[in-house]
Amino acid sequence: MEEKKEKIKISEVYSEAMNDIKSVFGLDKLQELKVKYLAKKSIIMTLLSGLGALPPEERKEAGQELNQTRNNIAKLIEQKESELRKEELEKKLKKEEIDITLPSRNVDVGGVNPFYVVKDEITDIFLNMGFEVADGPEVETDLFNFELLNIPKDHPARDMQDTFYISENVLLRTHTSPVQAHTMQAAEGKPIRIICPGKTYRRDDDDATHSHQFAQIEGLVIDKNINIGHLKATLELFVKKMFGEKREIRLRPSYFPFTEPSVEVDITCANCNGKGCSMCKGTGYIEILGGGMVHPNVLKMNGYDPDVYSGFAFGIGIERVAILRYGIDDIRKFYQNDVRFLHQYKKKA
Amino acid sequence: MLVSLKSVKKYVDLGNLSAEEVANGLTFAGIEVEEVSRLASGTNLVIGHILECEKHPDSDHLHILRVNLGPKFGIEQIVCGAPNARVGLKVIVARVGAKLPGGEIKKGVIRGVESNGMCCSLLELGVDAKNLRKEQTEGIEELPNDAEVGNEDVLGYLGLDDEVLNLKVLANRPDLLSLYNVAREIGAIFSKEVKIPTFEVKETFKTNLKVGSESWRCSQFSGREIKGIKIKESPKFMKESLLAMGVRSINNIVDIGNYVMLLTGQPLHMYDADKLDKAELIARDDLSCDFVALDEQTYKVEKDDIVITSNKKAMCLGGVMGSLACAVDEKSTHIYIEAASFDGASIRHTSNRLGLSSESSQRFVKGTNHYQSESVINFASYLIKEYAEGEEFSDIVKYQKEEKPVSSLKCHYSYINNRLGTNFSKEEIKNVLNRLYFNVSKESGDEFEVSIPSFRLDVTCEADISEEVIRVLGFENVKSELPLLDAKVGGLSLGQSRLRKIREYLSFNGLDECLTYSLVSKENSEKFNLLHEEEHYKLLNPLTDEREYFRTHILYSLLESALYNVNRQNKDLKLFETSNMMSTSSRSEHLAIALVGFDYTRDLMNKIPFDFYHMKGLVEGLFAILGIEASRYRFERYSSNKEEFHPGKSARRTLRRWQIENSESAYCTFAPHP
Repeated sequence: MEEKKEKIKISEVYSEAMNDIKSVFGLDKLQELKVKYLAKKSIIMTLLSGLGALPPEERKEAGQELNQTRNNIAKLIEQKESELRKEELEKKLKKEEIDITLPSRNVDVGGVNPFYVVKDEITDIFLNMGFEVADGPEVETDLFNFELLNIPKDHPARDMQDTFYISENVLLRTHTSPVQAHTMQAAEGKPIRIICPGKTYRRDDDDATHSHQFAQIEGLVIDKNINIGHLKATLELFVKKMFGEKREIRLRPSYFPFTEPSVEVDITCANCNGKGCSMCKGTGYIEILGGGMVHPNVLKMNGYDPDVYSGFAFGIGIERVAILRYGIDDIRKFYQNDVRFLHQYKKKA
Repeated sequence: MLVSLKSVKKYVDLGNLSAEEVANGLTFAGIEVEEVSRLASGTNLVIGHILECEKHPDSDHLHILRVNLGPKFGIEQIVCGAPNARVGLKVIVARVGAKLPGGEIKKGVIRGVESNGMCCSLLELGVDAKNLRKEQTEGIEELPNDAEVGNEDVLGYLGLDDEVLNLKVLANRPDLLSLYNVAREIGAIFSKEVKIPTFEVKETFKTNLKVGSESWRCSQFSGREIKGIKIKESPKFMKESLLAMGVRSINNIVDIGNYVMLLTGQPLHMYDADKLDKAELIARDDLSCDFVALDEQTYKVEKDDIVITSNKKAMCLGGVMGSLACAVDEKSTHIYIEAASFDGASIRHTSNRLGLSSESSQRFVKGTNHYQSESVINFASYLIKEYAEGEEFSDIVKYQKEEKPVSSLKCHYSYINNRLGTNFSKEEIKNVLNRLYFNVSKESGDEFEVSIPSFRLDVTCEADISEEVIRVLGFENVKSELPLLDAKVGGLSLGQSRLRKIREYLSFNGLDECLTYSLVSKENSEKFNLLHEEEHYKLLNPLTDEREYFRTHILYSLLESALYNVNRQNKDLKLFETSNMMSTSSRSEHLAIALVGFDYTRDLMNKIPFDFYHMKGLVEGLFAILGIEASRYRFERYSSNKEEFHPGKSARRTLRRWQIENSESAYCTFAPHP
């Protein structure tokens, strides 16, 4: 009778526990069940501790049964617990789902003045051709800005009106060409392959197409047997990299005191592909830079023997290239730094 | 230089070449033609004769004309608004269908009256108003009575059938300020024969005139005395040529001077011989005096100005302007002609100082041919004889300082081809040079000698000869070939690549890269100048006070850019600029950063105002990128009594040791004073 009662009790406890576990919600409630069925003072533990009162032959069987039940309940609880945890996590994840369309907290890449986009790009094209970047002062002497470039005092190409003077012989450079003279003197008769990007100044009133400050990239190559064909090929390569493979160049004779022969370089108009349109004033070409063979006098004055060495030089207007490429209508925009303007141009990695 | 193509055609046969083809040829030979324009234009033009002129019943200014257009077109009714329309007048009629610069003429009804054409003013044919008299711009053109009714070549009849090339003459080719030389150039480009006429007049007496120079600034002075001239109107061809080349006709003597200058490039000056104290014209540069010029203004002559003197009195500001005292006027009959050579730089100084510039001063400034004065005086004399009734012509008296121009050069065919990257044959090269009046002689193998024409002041070395060859034969003959140079690692120097990294770091951190002017005002240069207490360069000839100093720091310029943005409702700003800086004592690379308003990029919902720590973070990041560990620098409170910075929120970083090529010096300034 006693035993029977005991047996019933165990199976009842088990089925009760099963129901409880099945229907429980929430981990904290499950914790309560854990206490109810498995803790020291739970029914099963009480029964277990009461085993001593049973006869030895029954003790074993009853003990096994009790332990079995206890293990089963523990397993159920464990199962339930992991189920509930998973549920809870899902619920939590669900609850934490965010609106991924909201603005980011990341750092936006800064805007770049298109001046620098063009300057860096031109520089990189020539770096890849094995050029180095040379540098020279913006406050120059008359000697370097003019005389060493075959522009003696009172040469008609030198107009007092165009130059900012600091003293009679010190001035703001009017072009990047003085770097040619600096580089030649420093290279002491060795071959040269440099470009020099830099700011230049002319005494012009600022308007949409004139600026008292602007920038050029000077190029200079000196070696034995350099000819105009080398200048042409170098500039062709540059133009195709900068403006696209379809662009062709055309050389037109011109005049600079420090090159002989001198050329203006035109590229086929990107707008009409050379057919002629309003952008190129119907000519199909747009003037892009000037250059030529280094004048023998310039070589001589700067330490090179013009019978042994020859060279070519060119000068590219940075703002001019940017204006053509981006269709900027006013050169002053480069110097105003309106951030809405700057944000149109981003740095590419 | 405006060049009348009709005049050019007198000296070189251009065949079927159009003005555009000539312009293109010149441009690709290095003489840029900026514009080709027509003096006047219009189709369907005819000379008409007004037979009847009635007032329009429905208008207070219109007339109804019946105009005889000759046998071919008969009589047409034309409504005309010109105040000078009247019976008997010979006029230019644009018939229905005529294309004028202002549009096409259509048959029309004007206030109920049919009109079949238009009577024209020269303005309506496209003639520049500055070349017309006032009355010519206010009504229809009044043709002379002998104009042939029905003549359809109206522009030819008016001498307006000319095309004008506007040449951009570069500093090396002052010889092109002469129509003769432009004709020679066109002949060379198109391989056409050029015939420049020469003139002589018979000398009838020996002059007492003495010419000379007491200054190095005048190297050549030639003169001739002419008696019995008569001032009157210039001949039609001369007026037309002058008009085409942008010079107004005054009277025969003035026009002859200008005409000869435009053709030969040599400016002339005429003196009324009877108004001089003494029969002498001496160039000097040591006078200081007041000078009343032709324009009746008084100018101060200073030492070093070239003046032509007679009896030590200034009679002409050499090459710039004559004096009123000895000017040729309607009563003059007896003149001296001067053809001189002056130092261009001196003329430029005088002309700039006095604000006097003329066609002749511009020619002297750019350089004139010193070896043609006799032929030029002869040419002028011939014209004076023909068109000013000149009676007696003296011998030409001349002063010429000995000069040794480069008159020939030794050249090499191989040098020319090597410099150009071409394979021209000897014949091709020789042919081009001969066409350009560079005569090849003494050929031996690769070497030859070439004589330089006296008008080509610019050719002085073998490289110049190579340019002559290529500009005529064309750059399309140049083989495009990359130079075979020693392989070499180009690339940026350490300093240059560090500067790039700094710029990229700031850019990738969301800062906008700016570019500002180097020239600033005194105030701007002095404010925020706390890194370098160095002296700035000051311009001698600034355009404005705003741009008078060469800045020694970027910060103020950058703050100006910030202000420019704030004023345009761009209130949250992260700006930076790097730039090379020069002061009187140093040259270095600078960086400036300005953070204004709120940090908008980190969190749009929760904008944080920029503070010291944003800047500190950027600076720390910069140092990290440059490999400068935190142990090597520290931030110190920067207290300055300068008012630009908030005293409690400024700091200065000191580096124990930091050396970068180009003496890179990054400096950051924090928290401007409120």
